[in-house]
Amino acid sequence: MLSRNFIDYSIKLLLKDKTEYFFSFIIFTFIVFILSTVLFISDSIKYDLLSTLGNQDQIIVTNTKSGKYFPLNENHINTILQLDGVENVQGKVDGYYNFSQSSRLIHLIADDSLSDDEIIVSKDIKLLFKIFHYDKEFNFLTLDGTLTKKIKSVIASNILSSNTIFANSDVSREILQMNDEQYSYLSVYVPNDNEVEFLARKIMDIFPNTIAISKTQLQSYYRQIFYYKGGIFMILYIVAMLTFFILLKNQVSSVLTEQKKQIAILRSIGFSIKDIISLKFIQNSVIALSSYFIGVLTSYIFVFIFDAPIVKNIFLGEQMENIIFTPTVDFRMHFLIFLFTIIPFLAFIIIPSWKVAIEDISEIMK
Amino acid sequence: MTKITNLYKIYNENKQNEFTALNNINLEIQEAQTIIIRGKSGSGKSTLLSIIAGLCKPTSGDIIIENENIAKLPDINISNFRNEKIGFIFQSFNLISGLNTFENVMAPLVLKKIDKNQLEKQVTQALKIANIEHKKEQKVENLSGGEKQRCAIARALVMNPSIILADEPTANLDKSNSLIFIEMLKKFKELKKTVIVATHDSLFDNLEFVDRYIDIKDAKIE
Repeated sequence: MLSRNFIDYSIKLLLKDKTEYFFSFIIFTFIVFILSTVLFISDSIKYDLLSTLGNQDQIIVTNTKSGKYFPLNENHINTILQLDGVENVQGKVDGYYNFSQSSRLIHLIADDSLSDDEIIVSKDIKLLFKIFHYDKEFNFLTLDGTLTKKIKSVIASNILSSNTIFANSDVSREILQMNDEQYSYLSVYVPNDNEVEFLARKIMDIFPNTIAISKTQLQSYYRQIFYYKGGIFMILYIVAMLTFFILLKNQVSSVLTEQKKQIAILRSIGFSIKDIISLKFIQNSVIALSSYFIGVLTSYIFVFIFDAPIVKNIFLGEQMENIIFTPTVDFRMHFLIFLFTIIPFLAFIIIPSWKVAIEDISEIMK
Repeated sequence: MTKITNLYKIYNENKQNEFTALNNINLEIQEAQTIIIRGKSGSGKSTLLSIIAGLCKPTSGDIIIENENIAKLPDINISNFRNEKIGFIFQSFNLISGLNTFENVMAPLVLKKIDKNQLEKQVTQALKIANIEHKKEQKVENLSGGEKQRCAIARALVMNPSIILADEPTANLDKSNSLIFIEMLKKFKELKKTVIVATHDSLFDNLEFVDRYIDIKDAKIE
């Protein structure tokens, strides 16, 4: 067990040589910052996707014709409702409105809480409309003429809602040129989770042109899309760590040349090899831990307070530049970053110090 | 008592550049004696001090200090021995730059589980003996040569060791500071320390308080 005096003295020696350690501190902080930023953004996107899907019913049914999406009708609803295990089936209306002035397809979702003359838009769409001077109202251009709707309110943008307009079902159908009995997709509620997969297959058997996806399948599909941790994240981690250790190697060798004498002095007054390793462990743990926490904290501020400028476009593209990342922290993954950065860092520093400590002290003192 | 028997130190053994630094050294030093080891540069006197201090291992032979053969101790024990029993004063002082006098002197004490008050008491006492207490807050790189050596002496005394070793202690000092160091040796004797000084400085010749002069030439005691 190390004494308090020993720990204090180790810190004293560290602070004395702070300029020598500054480079390692900066590089380490930067790497933790980069890795944490990627992690925070991917976690936030995944969280938004999965929590939105969490509100959906267990099975989503879409219809295709010639390989393209095609509306469903009351017949589909009534047939599916007859299946044992299905409690409720809701027809939903959504689609894409072509905003030709900006050559942009905007997601239009039916929301029956709205009246016929109003719409809700996301912050991104509000900003887009403003460019074309649609401040309080918007004109939908349809085959039957222009539909003018009042912008009732603006919602914050997240990964799913950033490119969205909400309108009443009738208005949505009118804009999307759908008949009254047509639906874009069906939402099927199955009370027993164990029956979901079976019923999804059953629906596809009855209607061979339909695609019935369970909520679990959809969630795993989204997880795969945003599974940065598995592939890109690991590559990023390896590249970052390799760069870090190449830089650190040069730094360690120059610092060690300076510190060789200090280690020899400490050995000459009674520090054992174990004491030298403990001293270096304490000093570099202070560097690694402070770098880690500063890296994670600055990354959190960068992503969730400043909305990750520059980096956001790499993840989401320019059209989603106004989305807000929902603050979420995956502690397990951060613990892994902690282990995979701090342990190699400490080993990388301590092994050369140990090599110096086992050298012939009298030779170094000369 | 310190007893050295059949001591050899050969560098680069069995290589083309093999060099014998110590050749069959046999020596007995009684407690509280003051010994001066004289010899030219490269004669082996510094190597002998390093081996007595446990800073390097002999090629063969025994060094029994207070009934313990330090030549055969593992690192953890030899380090502890060095910390508790040996105070080493180096030619180039070997102080840790960037720290002040007090922080340099306290270094050997941080290995012991003692409270802050006890630590301060021991450091202050060592600084007083070495007559450097007034410079305790000063960074060591700002001290004069004589002051640096007094700081090194205070560090050597702080653990109250039984043996003080000094390797060419006056090589980097002017005459007045060298004489101050010699006065310090008298103080060590009064404190009943075993003192071994390796030097080729003639100022150490014919000192009345010295118990024994040992001359080393070509790695052997003459």
